Amino acid sequence: MLQQLANGVFAGSIYALFAIGFTLVFGVLRHLNLAHPAVFTAGAFIGIEVAARTAIPVWILFPVVALFGAIAGVLVERIAFRPLRGRDDEHFAGLISSIALGGVVIALLQARYGTEPQSFDMDYFPNRLFEIAGVRVTLTQLVTLGLALVLMLGLAWLVSATPLGRSMRAVAENPTAAKVLGVNVGRVTAGTYALSSALGTVAGALLALNLGQAGRDLGASIELVGFAVIILGGLGSLWGAMAAGVVLGIAEALTIHLFDSTWKSMVAFALLFAVLVVRPRGLFGHVKVREV
Amino acid sequence: MSEPILEVESLRVAYGRVQAVRDVSFTVPEGGLVALVGANGAGKSSVLAAVSGLQRPASGRIRFGGEDITRRPAHRRIAAGLVLVPEGRQILGTLTVAENLLLGAHRRRRQAAPESEMYDLFPVLAERRALPAGSLSGGEQQMLAIARAMIARPRVVLLDEPSMGLAPKMVDEVFAVIEKIRASGVTVVLVEQNARRALRAADTGHVLETGEIAHSGPASELLQDPRVVKAYLGVE
Repeated sequence: MLQQLANGVFAGSIYALFAIGFTLVFGVLRHLNLAHPAVFTAGAFIGIEVAARTAIPVWILFPVVALFGAIAGVLVERIAFRPLRGRDDEHFAGLISSIALGGVVIALLQARYGTEPQSFDMDYFPNRLFEIAGVRVTLTQLVTLGLALVLMLGLAWLVSATPLGRSMRAVAENPTAAKVLGVNVGRVTAGTYALSSALGTVAGALLALNLGQAGRDLGASIELVGFAVIILGGLGSLWGAMAAGVVLGIAEALTIHLFDSTWKSMVAFALLFAVLVVRPRGLFGHVKVREV
Repeated sequence: MSEPILEVESLRVAYGRVQAVRDVSFTVPEGGLVALVGANGAGKSSVLAAVSGLQRPASGRIRFGGEDITRRPAHRRIAAGLVLVPEGRQILGTLTVAENLLLGAHRRRRQAAPESEMYDLFPVLAERRALPAGSLSGGEQQMLAIARAMIARPRVVLLDEPSMGLAPKMVDEVFAVIEKIRASGVTVVLVEQNARRALRAADTGHVLETGEIAHSGPASELLQDPRVVKAYLGVE
């Protein structure tokens, strides 16, 4: 039982990492970036390739992946959202164009890596096993949890205490007022996407490290749960996405323990359904990015 | 009066097919206080939107300190010292009073005044510095909006309807602050519906009618001009 809880927390921390990137862009810019799962998948493939080519240690690998992610994020905004800026339907149009861009990204990954899943080298990362209070955890899981925590707290700090975060909250609340105050809205937009996608690619590489491999459908496999996490937490809420990620991770793990794995998605969505009936804004719906 | 610090030449502003400003030209001398008055929808705020860089003009030219800034983005105009206090105040209500001030200063890091100077000038803000700006009263929010502009130590401050929606006592306070700004040597462009108050404070006035300047002159003369009195000032 305790073991299942722990497994749920590890899985949940990856869900949360996926979700905060997505919810950050929504919270600041009101964009629904549906290319996020494809960027997540790209992060996994890039992580595997960089690890194989350079054999750099894991604590350098993740910053490299995050850098790729940041660049990808800026490109996603330029390609899928900026050309539509100022249209009456820019938010809906951006949602559609980001789905299309996500498809292009997956196709490009397939062109480069083929259709077979890519794997980390067996000995790339030492998979040691620990036992803490009767719960068995791997080193990978500990790294995952630690990195996810550091990144999430780091993001919360960045949003609440830095000049960039202040500008992001200003844009989130009132883009016109932000512009009046001389906030460079274009740069804040780019920065928000860079952060979001950096978190997304790191989450993808972390999941791949946990699984040992990644296929083209890695993003699709987390997409629905990830969106459930975002809505459960309250769209645009960073703390909500973090908490809901762990809640869903645990719920899934307990379902597997009590029934079997075929039921796990059903539980995730039943939970989502139940929360939306009781609290349509999600668990943390009133705590937006700007209030972190 | 010295060289004009701000020059607006044949300005046209359009929103889609609606022409808000047709052909407006005026200059603002350094250290002066110029009032733009006129009815609702006459184009006063659109002039300020174009001068501050929030709205791209359809045509015309804007010069600030002798340089053509017509195509410069808003944040670079602020960096140069041309700062707007927008209509409706545009306070960031979920941010604290202090954070609003810091945002006002962030484009002019070197020139900006210390936060404490603003609290000396606006004591009411000092008590509330850690509170969300949305919790302030309308008058206090207007003071914050002005403080947020003044912390940037602007060369020219553009005030858009600063007395709008305020109680008479707060209107007096706002105009007292405008006098103080002016006395400190900062150039002011004041857009107001309260034409009498604005013209009393100003040295030059322009009356806008449907996007064009209908009357111009020294503010004291406009206050006596029968056409202006009849249309905008009424009987006191």
